[in-house]
Amino acid sequence: MSHLGEQISALVDGELSGADLDRANAHLAMCEPCRAEAAALRALKRELRALAGRDTDDELTRRLLAMAGPGGPVPSRRLRREQYGRERLGRTPRGGRSWPGRASTPARGRYVLWSAVSLVVVGIGTAAFSMGGGATSEPGPKITPQLEMFSVEHALTFGDVPFPDPTQPATGAAKP
Amino acid sequence: MLAMSLLRRPGLVLSAAMTITVPGVLAVLAVLGHEHTALEAHTEAVSLGSSAPPASLPAEAQPAALPTAPAENPEAAREAAEMEKISGVRAAAYSGATDGQQALGMRLLGKSASAGLATSYQGVELIAQSSLNGAVTMISDVWHRGGGLTVTQTSDAAMLPSSNQPYVSYDVDNRTPEGVFGVTKTLVALLGTHYDALYQGTGSALGRPALIVELRRADGSMAARFWLDKRTMVPLRRDVYDTSARLISEDAFVQVQFGALTTPPGGAQTASAPAPSAWARAAPASLLAKLNGAGWRLPAALPGGLSLYAAARGSTGAGEVADLGYSDGLSVVSLFVQRGTLALKMTGWQAVTVSGHLVYVAGHSITWAGRGLVYTMIADAPPQTVQEVVASLPQNAPPGFLVRMGRGLDRLAALVNPFG
Repeated sequence: MSHLGEQISALVDGELSGADLDRANAHLAMCEPCRAEAAALRALKRELRALAGRDTDDELTRRLLAMAGPGGPVPSRRLRREQYGRERLGRTPRGGRSWPGRASTPARGRYVLWSAVSLVVVGIGTAAFSMGGGATSEPGPKITPQLEMFSVEHALTFGDVPFPDPTQPATGAAKP
Repeated sequence: MLAMSLLRRPGLVLSAAMTITVPGVLAVLAVLGHEHTALEAHTEAVSLGSSAPPASLPAEAQPAALPTAPAENPEAAREAAEMEKISGVRAAAYSGATDGQQALGMRLLGKSASAGLATSYQGVELIAQSSLNGAVTMISDVWHRGGGLTVTQTSDAAMLPSSNQPYVSYDVDNRTPEGVFGVTKTLVALLGTHYDALYQGTGSALGRPALIVELRRADGSMAARFWLDKRTMVPLRRDVYDTSARLISEDAFVQVQFGALTTPPGGAQTASAPAPSAWARAAPASLLAKLNGAGWRLPAALPGGLSLYAAARGSTGAGEVADLGYSDGLSVVSLFVQRGTLALKMTGWQAVTVSGHLVYVAGHSITWAGRGLVYTMIADAPPQTVQEVVASLPQNAPPGFLVRMGRGLDRLAALVNPFG
């Protein structure tokens, strides 16, 4: 026997009719998990309406309902926890006003995942770009021109005074 | 609406901010840590036309009014006779005939080159030159014993006092052309093919009577002016102008004495210890042919009319270096070429863009890498000429984005590969 799956949302939303509605009701009568799921969704819907329109837009509802996922009507851990809490305590959970907004744990997970992937890709790209610059990997020694030696030779060739190497700080300069 | 929903999802906002900020910070760190172009030597595009003019020397050494027809002026006639005696050229030349004026100018410069060798002098030279990254001003203690030893101790004027080691050279064998302000026999000979040297009368420099010789280009513009000491013929001052009549170099004695010498810079012991030369002279044409035969692609002439006239080979810890000297008699360029690539850290060098190429500048030296060779150029030449010379020689083109990324990924992989 297959569970209602996505149809459970349609059922709770009153979107089923005719044979579909009959089949769904017949399944609910026999299937405890689906019944519990439908009850939970209805309770959720009521709660959302009670929030005076906050986050009750269709988009959020649809996303919340879709949390059941394609694998079956088994509610998310949070829903199960809420449901369990309600069943045990007979009241709505504390902080109930905030949980509909935070109920998008998988969605947030996706954001985190994508952020992490972007970070890694951009990070590696940046590192590769910066490491790819600079000197080429051509063969041969790495040269720092020996300016002092060159300057002396230049002066000898052209009859001028040799300049000190400007890349070397003058030693002993400017003693206080 | 978007803002509201973003506010309700602080996690999303945080992630987005991290995605933007962290790579940015990483990029900055990577560039600061890795790119040797950027940090110690911050990259800046230098407008060659905006180089600061060199520090001005005392205005004392201005040329006197040009002499007028000496035949009608007893003083000028006396001077003409004196010129005849000094130069050996008939002084009637400078009384108006340009050819004669030039012959006299060349002759005076030739005598000055000889005097720079033969005369004993000591003093302090102030050398101010435009370079690609601003003006360079040096102060040099010079001590020369006629026909022999020269001791110089040069410091950056901005860093005085300095304890740079004095440099000692010995030219008794005439192997190397010692001279004052570039007035050497070889260069004076080269001058004649590129410039007109005109004797322009007398003036004074450093309070001493001086003969003034001007170098003019073919278009008549002034390239340089020399003040030659009237008594000894040693150059006292040289001003060099670029083609825009901008003063680009001033070399002058700010203190000088001729004849009896006192202690050389660095003490008496320096006068007896000439440094052995690390260079072996070579015939320019044959060295050029040999290097080009090995695929070095070095030119026989550089832009600006600079032709190859001197060559030498030296060796450094990183291998053999070829020194090619190019000149037109006034501007001089030494090109040092060796196999290899530039080091990753160019401490003390400033990265500058010249003709679209990244080069490193320190004082009047420029270095860059191209096709497996490192070129280091020491130039006493107008910035325009330097720019043209750099553009005319091989350069490593900056890698394209994909090449650079590929190379970076290779290097990253090599870093993390435990078997690499």
